[in-house]
Amino acid sequence: MESRLIVSSSPHIRSSETTQNIMRDVTIALLPAAAFGVYNFGINAFIILAVSVLTAIIAEAISQKIRKVPITINDFSAVVTGLLLGMNLPSSVPIWIPIIGSAFAIIIVKQAFGGLGHNFMNPALAARALLVASWPVEMTTWPTAGVDTTTSATILGIMKEGQVTELPSIMDALIGTVGGSIGETSALLLIIGGLYLIFRGVISYRIPVFYLGTFATLTLVITGFNVQETLLHVLAGGLMLGAFFMATDYASSPITARGQIIYAVGIGVITVVIRFYGGYPEGVSYSILLMNVVAPIIDKYTKPRVFGGAK
Amino acid sequence: MKEIFKTGVVLLIICFVAALSLAFTNEITKDKIAEQRMMANELAKKEVLPAAATFQDVDEDLLLELIESYSPIIEAYIGYNDSNEVVGIVFKSTPTAFGGAIEVVTGIELSGEVTGLRIGSHQETPGLGAKAADADFYAQYAGKSTESYIGVSKTAASGNDIQAITGATITSDAVTVGANASIDAFKMIMETGGVGN
Amino acid sequence: MNLKNLTNGLFKENPIFVQLLGMCPTLAVTTSAENGIGMGLATTAVLVSSNLVISLLRKLIPAKVRIPAYIVIIASFVTIVGMVMEAFLPALYGALGLFIPLIVVNCIILARAESFASKNNIADSVLDGVGMGLGFTLALTVLGAVRELFGNGTIFNLSIFGAGYKPALIMILPPGAFLALGILLALYNVYQIKSAK
Repeated sequence: MESRLIVSSSPHIRSSETTQNIMRDVTIALLPAAAFGVYNFGINAFIILAVSVLTAIIAEAISQKIRKVPITINDFSAVVTGLLLGMNLPSSVPIWIPIIGSAFAIIIVKQAFGGLGHNFMNPALAARALLVASWPVEMTTWPTAGVDTTTSATILGIMKEGQVTELPSIMDALIGTVGGSIGETSALLLIIGGLYLIFRGVISYRIPVFYLGTFATLTLVITGFNVQETLLHVLAGGLMLGAFFMATDYASSPITARGQIIYAVGIGVITVVIRFYGGYPEGVSYSILLMNVVAPIIDKYTKPRVFGGAK
Repeated sequence: MKEIFKTGVVLLIICFVAALSLAFTNEITKDKIAEQRMMANELAKKEVLPAAATFQDVDEDLLLELIESYSPIIEAYIGYNDSNEVVGIVFKSTPTAFGGAIEVVTGIELSGEVTGLRIGSHQETPGLGAKAADADFYAQYAGKSTESYIGVSKTAASGNDIQAITGATITSDAVTVGANASIDAFKMIMETGGVGN
Repeated sequence: MNLKNLTNGLFKENPIFVQLLGMCPTLAVTTSAENGIGMGLATTAVLVSSNLVISLLRKLIPAKVRIPAYIVIIASFVTIVGMVMEAFLPALYGALGLFIPLIVVNCIILARAESFASKNNIADSVLDGVGMGLGFTLALTVLGAVRELFGNGTIFNLSIFGAGYKPALIMILPPGAFLALGILLALYNVYQIKSAK
């Protein structure tokens, strides 16, 4: 693959896009929300993010050395995986959690399946699923924003238990001064980052728009057209982070336009099902992982007909 | 035709021998198995009501009433001590927790004290809800009074409250629902004259 | 009689690591080393007995009904193992009880009956059963030990990592079975390739 991103076989038009450029753009788009997480949750959050990124880079270098392939840690893709994983963790987790998570994401989910472009699911999300299943207490204890010690429920946790009076305002949820994982709280900064990626042509608008659209529409119907609750649901949890940065992963999402729409709608439906009818308060990561697995089948059935070919 | 007949006979003989050996094994093991099952049952009841030596099912009318009005209770047993006096009642209930129905066995002494609680079969998440089956959790119920309901506190146990398992409030609540239904049923039985000796 | 039939099953044609047979019990019961060894030995008992009987009857069983005949024989042995285990090893039965009936459909047993015992003499068939059974037991025990070690911090209930270890619960949950099996298979293949050079 070298470092060129080859999208299709012909007509061989070379673009100036490289893996490095794309991944650098993703990193830039993530940074505001990550920085806000550090501001929100303190120095702990910074340590978790740094450890997560560092482990990802080291794991990438080691596994590429073992596989005897060129070491490509300067293409930023390991950085993106590490950063995404770190942003998906509560700031109060012990230091070994991001280490195990990042190492698993890179070594097992990415490199063991053939490296960049060959991972069948999003490495950061797969690692998060592993961590949640393994250490559920650590992974679902969130510190309150601005305070180091006390634990607080997330917006979704509060809604799941039905204590609606304790809910933060929509403004708090938009800006992100609420409990949650390090990088998921600020919906506003994540949207800005996502728009930057769409504007730069790194991601298409299709997946985030159809994902969020499906989710919001279904939520509106289920809550009986309660606009406030729907807005909170859209802004809360990992939805924005998932819609813009994780569902759009090139290797694990469909290639065709039609396929991307089916994929995004599917994620939206599953997220709603998990949030409203499932045991967990949050369903973004599982729904993306589930649709990741289906992506190759979607591609198979949405492949455009060869021009002039028989139907 | 002859071949089919021969095939059938061979298969018949194999099945016959198989059935014979199964019957033989069953004959050897059935008493032992019945004993094992009964011991396991008795043991669970004795653990929650240590003062009792033997147990007897409550009469059918009462059990039907319990099942109907004191859901999720499904079984109840009267415990007798060595001199054949009633010492308490053991209830089995199946409240719904995170992973579906969970078996809760609650023992209550005549004095109105919960003497023990155990978790039977369940499908809770290992490391979270499954901790309900650990002594650390269920031992909290022993010694609670039936004067008031047992409550669930997220932070610390106090008075008639037990402390929830961290990260598994739903399971803790469900177990407590089972315990409180048993308390209700116990009170009803006592108020309507108790259980005959 | 050929002793190679005994060693074949252990490594070269290990039913799990090489033939990838019998994945259902492999993935379902290996939550601890003890369960792995229990399931493995129970399967070995059935495998040896069924290989013995099928080899003994190989000239009598008509080819047309051989599969039903094998199934009847295997199912009888499974039921016998299940009853004996419940009567005399209740603790192990408690852990494996659900999976004992699954031995019937464990393809290792039918595969050995069809591909080996029905074509070879009694001594070789028994040796093959012992070898394959022990190979299966070995694989299940290793898998169970790995999962128990990381998922619970123990091996055969002996604490390895000490009390401070926070177990990775996923390893004793179903996904952990796939992860552990995948990684063990990869290591086994690395070893095979290296030793072939």
